[in-house]
Amino acid sequence: MGFNQESAVKGAKTDLAKRLGVGENDIETVSVGAKDFPDMSLGAPVADEMSAQMISSGWTINLSARGKNYEYRADKYQLRLCGFNGTNHIIES
Amino acid sequence: MNRQNIWIHITIAAIVITFAGILGQFRNWESKLRSAKTVSDVKSAPKLLTVKRSAEAGEPEVFVKFRPEVTLAEINKITRKNNDRVEDRIEAVKGLTSIDDLDDADAEAVAAQYAAMSNLVVYAEAVNRIELEPTEVFRPVSQADANASSLPDDPLFGEQWALNNAGQNGGKIDAHLDALKAWATTQGSGDVVVAVLDSGVDYTHPDLIGNMWMRPDDVPAYKDGELGSVNDLRGFNAADNQSDPMDDNGHGTHCSGIIGAEGNNGEGIAGINWNVQIMPLKFLGRGGFGTTKDAIEAINYAIDRKRNGVNVRVINASWGSTSKSKALEDTIRAAGEDGILFVAAAGNNGTSNDKNPHYPSNYNLPNVISVASLDRTDTLSSFSNFGVKTVHIAAPGRDILSTWLGEEYREASGTSMATPYVAGTAALILSIEPNLSVAKLRERILKSADKIDSANGKVESGGRLNAAKALLN
Repeated sequence: MGFNQESAVKGAKTDLAKRLGVGENDIETVSVGAKDFPDMSLGAPVADEMSAQMISSGWTINLSARGKNYEYRADKYQLRLCGFNGTNHIIES
Repeated sequence: MNRQNIWIHITIAAIVITFAGILGQFRNWESKLRSAKTVSDVKSAPKLLTVKRSAEAGEPEVFVKFRPEVTLAEINKITRKNNDRVEDRIEAVKGLTSIDDLDDADAEAVAAQYAAMSNLVVYAEAVNRIELEPTEVFRPVSQADANASSLPDDPLFGEQWALNNAGQNGGKIDAHLDALKAWATTQGSGDVVVAVLDSGVDYTHPDLIGNMWMRPDDVPAYKDGELGSVNDLRGFNAADNQSDPMDDNGHGTHCSGIIGAEGNNGEGIAGINWNVQIMPLKFLGRGGFGTTKDAIEAINYAIDRKRNGVNVRVINASWGSTSKSKALEDTIRAAGEDGILFVAAAGNNGTSNDKNPHYPSNYNLPNVISVASLDRTDTLSSFSNFGVKTVHIAAPGRDILSTWLGEEYREASGTSMATPYVAGTAALILSIEPNLSVAKLRERILKSADKIDSANGKVESGGRLNAAKALLN
């Protein structure tokens, strides 16, 4: 599946709502911005993952719900959740 | 053949077919019986059966290094007893075995179970499966941008500041590898094979096609214990166990062009080697990420080919992470013992690898060179990792033009791009000194580095790769 900024934000909201058991309307988009990531895991590797060490362009998506902030990262073809319960997650690719 | 003989043959064939059918049915029954057994009946050590793999954890699988005295028969017995199965053996590292857990238990728990058998096992570590998807691409550079007046006659050579920095685009004169001077000595050799362990290679790219490795007729096809005979005519694909190592990301093709785009062919760019053989080893998927396990399998393949007469002397590893794996370390060590230099990217976090290790570049092995990135003004790239104890040399890695998918050329940045300049220079040296040991090759590259301020105290050699000096004995 491919992403643009808009669909990445939507995917992130859908995922967070599901994880927290809240409605998507309860999730606030704090900020969305273009970013160069250090590698092809978007700087958010999962266990045992090795990634190409080439600077990659994408977006950071900061969401808020129930008073907490959550960071997602995406590029054209992948969406990741950073540091949720201490680990990174590949949400969609 | 007379009529009587025909009936004898038909009778024998019928008996063979019937026997095969009965045998197959027995195996089927055996398999069903095994899967129907409760795990607690067959386990020799406690297992956390309540821990189920998550959707993201992938297939439960572990790498287990058995002690040297443990035979394959014993390994099979142990795995059967645990209701596991031997998925693959990493032949290059004695005792290293990939094991599938058939109970669907958590890989960490399975690894702990094997690690507890300390009389039989050196170590055990969990393997996770990862989804592989595409990545972002970079600014295309048109042929019209090129400065075609430089030597060699590759029309984009003028953009290749790393090879010949004449101060173009704000660069610093001579902040380069001094390729023109190196090429006066050698332009490489088709006898040297560099394995590009990456996302595959677009072996049809017009600037690469002439320097692609193909398995020679006198080298047998690769045989894997589990996959059987593999059609490795063009290299190896560990990512999906198919024989085709075609690149579907672009990163591996970019690295390959740096190492060995054909030089002076009137097309695109020049590699640091005009002549070389590039062996594609694909383990990164379309997204540019992959698993440690697949990296190990691909290195094992390269070692096997070396042992079968293919002159693989260098592996380029423009990838990494903070995940440490003893199994990967052991496999890289085995490559070194077979005469293969392993050149690895230092990483792009802009941090010290002395304090925050990055792998595989941080493995303290005699065949590993860890590479940091420089820009066109001889400044350490802001993204580049460093470490005077753990990163060995710096090389150009920012705004590097090279080959891309679809017969294109693109600029990209990262220690990914610096690494193939070092790997390529190693191949250049081997083109004139083919019998040089890995230790001498490594020493030659590091000792000949140009000392520069930005690398002083940041990398072990304190300098930038200089291909021309590295050729001097």
